[in-house]
Amino acid sequence: MIALRPIVGLVLLASASGAVAADLTLDIRDAAGRPVADAVVYAQPVGSAPLPRADTRATIDQVNKEFVPRVSIVQAGTQVFFPNSDNIRHSIYSFSPAKTFTTKLYSGREAAPVLFDKTGLVVLGCNIHDTMVAWVFIVDTPWFARTGADGAATLKSLPNGEYTLSAAAPSANLKPRETRVIVDGSGLVRFTIALDAGA
Amino acid sequence: MMRIQRLQTRIIVLFVALLALVQVAAFWFVNAANSRNAQAKVAEELTVGQRVFARLLEQNAEKLKMSARVLAADFAFRESIATHDTGTIASALANHGARIGAEAMVFVDLEGQVVSDTLSPGGTTRAFEYPALLKSDKNAASASMEVLDDRAFQLVAVPVLAPLPIGWVVMGFAVDDALASDLRQLTELEVSFATDGRGGRRILASTLDLREQQSLLASMPSQSNGVARLVLKIGGVDHQALVIPLDDTAQIVAVLHRSLDDAMAAFERLRNTLFLLAALSLTMSILGSVAVARNITRPLESLATAAARIEQGDYSAPVNLKRADEIGVLASSLNHMRGSIADREKRILKLAYEDPLTDLANRSRFSNELELAITQAALGDLRLTILMMDLDRFKYVNDTLGHSVGDHVLREVSARLQRTVTRAECIARLGGDEFAILVRDANDDFTDTARQIIAALEAPILYEGQPLDVGTSIGIAHYPEHGRDAQTLVRNADIAMYAAKRNKTGFATYEQHYDTSQQEHLSLLSELRRAVEHNELRLYYQPKVSLHSSHVSAVEALIRWEHPTRGLVPPAQFIPFAEHTGYIKLLTRWVIREAVRQCGEWLRSGLALQVSVNISARDLMNRELPELVAELLAQHDVTPGLLCLEITESGFMEDPAHAQKVLDRLDELGVKLSIDDYGTGYSSLSYIMKLPVQELKIDRSFISRMATDEEISTIVRSTIDLGHNLGLQVVAEGVEDLAAWDMLRTLGCDDAQGYFMSKPLEPKALAKWIRDFSGRPPTRIAAEAAASVKVLKN
Repeated sequence: MIALRPIVGLVLLASASGAVAADLTLDIRDAAGRPVADAVVYAQPVGSAPLPRADTRATIDQVNKEFVPRVSIVQAGTQVFFPNSDNIRHSIYSFSPAKTFTTKLYSGREAAPVLFDKTGLVVLGCNIHDTMVAWVFIVDTPWFARTGADGAATLKSLPNGEYTLSAAAPSANLKPRETRVIVDGSGLVRFTIALDAGA
Repeated sequence: MMRIQRLQTRIIVLFVALLALVQVAAFWFVNAANSRNAQAKVAEELTVGQRVFARLLEQNAEKLKMSARVLAADFAFRESIATHDTGTIASALANHGARIGAEAMVFVDLEGQVVSDTLSPGGTTRAFEYPALLKSDKNAASASMEVLDDRAFQLVAVPVLAPLPIGWVVMGFAVDDALASDLRQLTELEVSFATDGRGGRRILASTLDLREQQSLLASMPSQSNGVARLVLKIGGVDHQALVIPLDDTAQIVAVLHRSLDDAMAAFERLRNTLFLLAALSLTMSILGSVAVARNITRPLESLATAAARIEQGDYSAPVNLKRADEIGVLASSLNHMRGSIADREKRILKLAYEDPLTDLANRSRFSNELELAITQAALGDLRLTILMMDLDRFKYVNDTLGHSVGDHVLREVSARLQRTVTRAECIARLGGDEFAILVRDANDDFTDTARQIIAALEAPILYEGQPLDVGTSIGIAHYPEHGRDAQTLVRNADIAMYAAKRNKTGFATYEQHYDTSQQEHLSLLSELRRAVEHNELRLYYQPKVSLHSSHVSAVEALIRWEHPTRGLVPPAQFIPFAEHTGYIKLLTRWVIREAVRQCGEWLRSGLALQVSVNISARDLMNRELPELVAELLAQHDVTPGLLCLEITESGFMEDPAHAQKVLDRLDELGVKLSIDDYGTGYSSLSYIMKLPVQELKIDRSFISRMATDEEISTIVRSTIDLGHNLGLQVVAEGVEDLAAWDMLRTLGCDDAQGYFMSKPLEPKALAKWIRDFSGRPPTRIAAEAAASVKVLKN
């Protein structure tokens, strides 16, 4: 089982004041110190009023019977589009409580966008192709990012203030690890995600 | 132990036994092989069955997994499971379970908790009992055999993907009789599933009926690790079985088994066919061996029959066996043998039943013919006649002129007989000069025939120009009057013949009184024997008185039998009989012994008397006689000259050659010899001249008739002269009166003997008589004698 361990945290703070914003780079690694790709990180300001719902859009494409990207992170209220780049039909579904839906078999851009309006994790599958799986983390903050192959992700334009930083990965325990951080400049917060050897 | 005697049976028994042995052996081998094959086959079937079974279970599980996977992938199913609504989930499980025939449907969440279970709807939450089935891999489906609620289930667990696993749906497919039945169809083995659950072992599913299941349970081993191969007894039938554990703890086992009987069934058919073939070939071989045996024994039987015929003397039928084999050779050998035996028997019969000299029948043949004739005569109420005859003086001819002359005489006699008695059934020479004639079915008395025979033999037989005179005596006996069997008839004819000879009648027909005298003779025989033993015999002595000097120098010993009941038995009544039976030898022996003893006694008392003893023809045949005489003389110290043996003419005429030897021997001893009864026989003087005799006794018949018959007196005179001329002393017997005495004295006769002088006297009386009368004139003697006769008569 994969476990995120927020043991070592190194936050590079951008020097900012007031409305000064900073980019926060996170380095997510497993217990063995290897970078974890496709992990998501997000930051929620502590003690502030609820953030306005985004009216944003996201896209999860289907290429070669795979969801691309496999892991997405969106702000609640985001319309997610599911274009089909394959020349075969797909039928996307989710039984996740955060968003339960299903599309009919479609190709190209026939599918209507799905509104992810509740926070949580939605696991997507294709009713036709059992091997297709995608994770969509729905968070209540606009500051989120996904790690690349180097395990690094950058939360951009993060205003100074105190945040709860969360990190999660589909292959790890799905409960996000949290840590608090005060942003007062630009800096780097590093998380180490350790893979449990017994997993 | 019983033994098989018949060849045919032996052959058949041998053939059949051999074949039966081979067949039984073959049958046994085949059967054993079959049995082994059946067991091997069952074992192999079990092995194959086991593999198939394992494979089938695997395939079944795979199929079920596949089905389960398909079900678990069903979107609607997943959708309903994903609702997390217990009611929905339960109904979805029931519905979809029914769709693929799973009796038990359980949904287990990722934590291993049973969310819903169709077997216990609304039950309390519990951990799933078989966590091992739950594999986190979303592609994994696992299966195992488990017992749920006392029933066996093939459990298949597959994850429910949405699209990541959200839990497992576990489907239970009942392991039931139908499955067992399916498996049996495919494996051709009986299939049972059993468990060692709580409450003991029991059968979960089976292709067997209940009773067989019980029997299976009873014979199953209690515990087994791994695959066990064993033999079970199910319903009384041996089964080879495999016990295969179906789960790790061996809680459930499959029992695959196959009846050996079923496996044997195919072989059973083969065996039946084989048995049929064996029975068939055995029958054929019995028939065949019977045929072979008959082929051998039939000809053997006919050979045996032929041999039996030959054994019975039937040589007429040849053996008819035309065969090229050994039996054929045997048959032809038998035929040759039959021929040669027939020839040989003919020759033997000729030898056995014919007299080679005369070609007449011999005694055996005559006896057979007579027996046969009597048998036939008895049946046909017919009459038979036999004539027995012998030749007078034949022995004399034979001895004096030689056997070739005798043979010539016999041949001539037989030729004459054959010519004379033309109606004879059988003319036989019984031996020596004895002939017998058998005539059948004739009613005359045969006296004419007898006369004809006598007449035929009267004509002299010429031998090299010399005439030979042979007479005959014939005895006649008729069947049935004179005897109803051959022996009696022959004996009676013999008796008649002797009567004829005795009476000099030429022939005689048997008469009853001959037989009574014969009977008397028979009783005499035993009495005579007793007489010797009990000393009933006496010797009386009659003096021979010298006609010249009236002196007594000799006596003749005469035997007397003082019979205890009959009184004095005259010698005429037992001497001839003793001669016939041969008893005379003993008698003579006794007489000589007694005479010599008496002579010796007299001698010692100063009385030197010459004692004469009569000896018979038979005694002259006795070579031991001279030795006996010598011994007795020596014993009693008597000079040989005091013993005189008197022999009759006929005595030595029977076998002159032999008699001559004995007489010569006696003469050598110095014993005097005398010819008794001279004149009654046919002996020629020339022959007598050759004998070493010193005395001649003229028969009493001449003396008694001498006075009245001129001719007789002439004969007596010439006989006396002749005797004197030959140097013999002449004695007259039967001198009964003075006239005879005087006449004999005149004729120059030397001695006289007779009642005129004295009857035979006891030894003491004789001694007295001699003292009183010796040397006195005969007249005085006669007067004394007459007086003594008178005294006796008074």
